[in-house]
Amino acid sequence: MICWKCHERLSSLRCASCGALVPPPAQPELFGALGLDRRYHVEAEAIDGAWRRRSKDTHPDRFAASSAVERRMALQWTATLNEARRVLRDPVARAWYLATGKPHPAESGGPKLSPEFLEEIFELRMAADDEPDAVRDTAAKLRARLDADLEDLFSRWERGEGDLSPVPERLSRLKYVDNLLRELPA
Amino acid sequence: MSNIGIDLGTTNSLVAVVMGGRARCLLDDDGRAILPSAVRYTAEGPVVGYAALDDAAGHAATTLTSVKRFMGRSMDEARSEAAQLHYELAPPDDASEEKVVRMAVGERLVTPIEVSAEILKALKERAEECLLGGVGGAVITVPAYFDDAQRQATRDAGRLAGLNVLRLLNEPTAAAIAYGLQERSQGTFAIYDLGGGTFDISILRLEDGVFQVLSTAGDTHLGGDDFDRLIAERLLNEAGVVGARGGALRGAMEAAESAKRALTDAESTEVVAQLGEVSATFTLSRDTLNTLIRPLVDRTLTACQQALSDAQLTAAQIDGVVLVGGSTRVPLVRQVVEAFFGRVPFSDIDPDQVVAVGAAMQADILSGESELSEDVLLMDVVPLSLGLETMGGVVEKLIWRCSPIPSSASQTFTTHVDGQTAVSIHVVQGEREMARDNRSLARFKLGGIPPMPAGLPRVEVQFLVDANGILTVTATEQYTGKQSNIEIVPSYGLTDEQIEEMLESSIDAAETDVDERLLVEAKVEAEQILRAVEKALSSDADMVQEDELGSIQAVVAELKSAIDAQERKKVNDLSKKLDEVTAPFAQRRIERDLQLALRGQSALEVADRLDRSNV
Repeated sequence: MICWKCHERLSSLRCASCGALVPPPAQPELFGALGLDRRYHVEAEAIDGAWRRRSKDTHPDRFAASSAVERRMALQWTATLNEARRVLRDPVARAWYLATGKPHPAESGGPKLSPEFLEEIFELRMAADDEPDAVRDTAAKLRARLDADLEDLFSRWERGEGDLSPVPERLSRLKYVDNLLRELPA
Repeated sequence: MSNIGIDLGTTNSLVAVVMGGRARCLLDDDGRAILPSAVRYTAEGPVVGYAALDDAAGHAATTLTSVKRFMGRSMDEARSEAAQLHYELAPPDDASEEKVVRMAVGERLVTPIEVSAEILKALKERAEECLLGGVGGAVITVPAYFDDAQRQATRDAGRLAGLNVLRLLNEPTAAAIAYGLQERSQGTFAIYDLGGGTFDISILRLEDGVFQVLSTAGDTHLGGDDFDRLIAERLLNEAGVVGARGGALRGAMEAAESAKRALTDAESTEVVAQLGEVSATFTLSRDTLNTLIRPLVDRTLTACQQALSDAQLTAAQIDGVVLVGGSTRVPLVRQVVEAFFGRVPFSDIDPDQVVAVGAAMQADILSGESELSEDVLLMDVVPLSLGLETMGGVVEKLIWRCSPIPSSASQTFTTHVDGQTAVSIHVVQGEREMARDNRSLARFKLGGIPPMPAGLPRVEVQFLVDANGILTVTATEQYTGKQSNIEIVPSYGLTDEQIEEMLESSIDAAETDVDERLLVEAKVEAEQILRAVEKALSSDADMVQEDELGSIQAVVAELKSAIDAQERKKVNDLSKKLDEVTAPFAQRRIERDLQLALRGQSALEVADRLDRSNV
C-alpha cells in the first residue's frame, strides 16, 4: 500500500513521510481495521494492543493542525477502531460478526429454533420459581454444551474445515439460555 | 503563535501556556494567576474577574458568578440551582426561551454562554499581552461528566470569545498530564478535585500511552465555600448574632475564609471579623476547624468509594492520587485522602493551577511542534449513554457510557403507516430506560421519504461523537438511495443561527476580530481543499468523468472568486459543495488504490503507475 498524498510506501495507517492518513474504508471489516486476522480465537490483550497502536496513528488529536478533510478521516478511522475493539472484545458479538457480518442477530428473521429446544426452555422457566438450583444446574449444562459446540465449529473453521453456517442457530440458543440464567432468582 | 490552555472553572478561571518547554500560568497586572469567574454588567460594559467582585454586594443583581452551573441547561433544570444565587434568572417569554437560561442584567438579557465568553475573552486578552507571537488555538477544560449540551455550550462560548477551540479536554485528564503521568508505561490514577463549590473524583487508566477515564463521581454542591459557611456560622454563634444577613454575614464569611487559610500552616489563629456595626475577635484552632468540616470531607470519600466501585477497583489498586482545587490545601483534606487511598497524594503543582497547566501542555502537543512527548494519546470517553427514543418512549442506546471517543453507531428505522413520508427522531442522553427521564438533546424530522407501504423504507440514523464528546446526527433514507437533508434543532442550548447572531450582533470591538478570524479560517480550509482537488485532478485525470469534470471545475471557479471577494458564507458553502461534488471521484481513487494493493501488485508498481499518471 502506498500513501495517497505523497505516494511513499506505507508501513502503518499513517504515512511516515508526509503524515497523511490512509483513507478510512467506507464499509470497514473490523478485524482488518485493527490489522488482525479473522479468527474467533483472539485474546482481549491482542485486540487492545492493536487498538492502541492504531489509535495512536489515527486519533484526531494527531491532526489538529491538518486540513478539514484529514481531520474528518482521522475521526472516522478512530471511530471505526473503537467500534472494532468494542465488538471484537465481546466473544458473542465476535461470533455473530464472523458468521453473519453483523455483531448481533438480525432484527427479524433470525435463525429458526427447533420446537423441542423452545419447549425445553419453557419448561425450565416454569420450574424456575420452585427449583431454582436444579434449573440453574440444567441451564449451565446446556450452556457448556453450546460453548463446546461453538468452540468446535470455530476451531475447525480456523483450520480451514467446514463453514460457520450452523453458528447463528447456536448463538440464538445461547441467548435463550443466558436470558434464562440471568432471570433466575439469586 | 502559541496555543493556550484554559481552565474555565465554576469559581475561578486561569490561562496557561508552554514557554521554553515548561507550562506556566499567565498572571494579571497584579501578579495573580486566578481570574475569578465573575462578570458584572455595567453601563460601560462588562467587567470581569476581581474587578467584578469588588463591591459585588452593592451590585448583587448585575454581578454574575458560577454561571458554569447553567451551561447547556434549560430554565427548568436551572430553577433549583438558581435558588442559591444572589442574581435572578429572567423568566422566558415563550417556549423557545425555555431552552436556554437567561439572566437579566439591567436592560439586557445574557446567556451563560455569553457570560463565559466574557471570562474567556479576558483570559485571551491576558494571553495576547503576554505572548508576542499572538494566540493560536485554545484547549478548554470541562468536567469529565459534562454532557453533550454542556460541551457544546462551552465550545460556543470559546467561539464567541474569538478563540479557535482545538479541543475540549476533561479536567482530570488535564491534571494527570500536568504531573506527567502519561510518561509512565501504565497505571491507574485518582484525580481528587475539591474546588470552591464543586467536588469531582475521577479514576483514570493509562496503558501504553492511552489515557482513559474509567469513572467519575462527585458532588456539584460541595466545596471550600461550604467550609467557610460552617466557620462563619460558628463565629456568628460565638458573637451571639442570630439570623445574620447582609454586612454581618459577609463580614463573617470573609473572616472565616482568612481563618481557614491561616490554619493551613498554623495550629491556631486569631481573626477579627467585622460583623456589621460591631467587630469581634475570635480564636480558632485547627482541631475545631477539623471537627466542623469533617462531615463534609467524609462526603467526598463516599463519592471516592462510588467512583472506585464504578471502575471495579479498590483503593489499593490506585497507583497515584492527584490533588486539584484550592480546597485541597486544607490539611484535613490531605490527611483524609492520604488515609483513604493509602498513599501520599501528588501535590507539587499549585492545586489551583494544575488543570490549566495540563491544558496548556495538551495545547502545545496539538500544535505539532511541541518539545513535550507526543507519544501520548488522550482517549476520553462518552460520559453518558446516547440513544434514540423508540416505540412507547423506550430508549434504545446506540453509544454506551464510557465508550472511548470518537465513537460512531447507526440504527435503521422504518415507517409504521402506509404512505408515511416523514419519521420523527428524538435523540437523548442518559442512563434511564425511558426517554422522558433522560436529557433530550435534539428532535428532528426526516422528511421527503417517498410514499411506500409501512415497513419498507429504511431510515439509517448515524451517530458520530467527536474527540470533544460532541455529537452529530445524520439520517439517510436508504430505500431510495438518497441522503435526505435533515436539520437538527437542539432541544437545549443555542442553535448555530443563534450563535451566529450573537457573533454578529455583538457591538464589542472584538467582534471584528471574530469576523476576520472566521473568514481566515474559511479561506484556509477552502484553499486546502482546492489544492487537494487540483492535485488529484492532475494526477488522476483518467478517473474523472467528463460531466463530473465540468461541475467540479465550475465549483472550483466559483470558490476561487468567493475567496477573492472575501465572502465568508459563500466560501463555506462552496467548500462544502466542492467536497460533495468530488466525493465520488475521491472514492474511486481510493478504491483503485485499495484494489491495486489487494491485487498483490507491489507497492513499487503502484507507485510507478501513479507516477506515470502524474505526467
